[in-house]
Amino acid sequence: MKVEVGQELPELLKHPTTRQLVQYAGAQGDFYEIHYDQAYAKTVALPGVILHGLLKAAFLGQLVTDWLGDRRKLVTFEVSYRGVDMPGHPYRCRGRISNVDGENVEVEVWGEDESGKRTTVGTATVLIDG
Amino acid sequence: MSTTTSVIDRLRGRIGVDGPEVTAPVEAGHVKRFAEAIGDPNPRWNKEVPPTFLVALAPVSLHLAEAEEYGKGWLNGGNRFEYLVPVLVGDVITARGHVADVYEKAGASGNLLFIIFETEYTNQRGDLVARLRGTMIRR
Repeated sequence: MKVEVGQELPELLKHPTTRQLVQYAGAQGDFYEIHYDQAYAKTVALPGVILHGLLKAAFLGQLVTDWLGDRRKLVTFEVSYRGVDMPGHPYRCRGRISNVDGENVEVEVWGEDESGKRTTVGTATVLIDG
Repeated sequence: MSTTTSVIDRLRGRIGVDGPEVTAPVEAGHVKRFAEAIGDPNPRWNKEVPPTFLVALAPVSLHLAEAEEYGKGWLNGGNRFEYLVPVLVGDVITARGHVADVYEKAGASGNLLFIIFETEYTNQRGDLVARLRGTMIRR
């Protein structure tokens, strides 16, 4: 499969719910109340419960591994959280190839909220096999 | 301000000090629950773990009671994973973490405290399988 700078990864649209945040809190073992307790979230000046940064990272991880298939290996994966996201709103995960150097490919990834704001940005480096 | 300074000084004293080591098996049921929670149905996760799964095996940050004297709450600033050896269901992973850096920075609505954590993961054969660097923010 041809890999070129500027090529976009197939988009991944997520629909996170408060239920999913509770499910994720249990699976990760992160029980910080800002992810499921509305009243608590407001006491720390948040508009309500917010998505775990690491859940958004997992969404972007899926974007990359769905595209990778079996013939490519993930080498590094880095994300930076730039804004908060609330459950009940779609979360759009996108990516674009930003560099190709032989077998080493760099992919720029990001997650957008409904308004198109990039609330999570990151980079994945991948080793392509042949 | 003197209280804030002393919190930062005390936290800076933790830089490089290893936290408790955590060893945990990679259980098929746990990986399945994690994949379901993130909504990723890839059958690959029957044998291997998804890219962020290691965060579910051991705490990604050390509990730093003194950090909670600063600001009101925690925010996750970012995470960086480096993958060296695939992690498979059935592996037994040991996580070793430490504080790598502590600093204060001016934000749009006041100062923020940044704490950088680093974790190294090894498998049952002693192979280094992955590294994680995380930025936690007190606001």
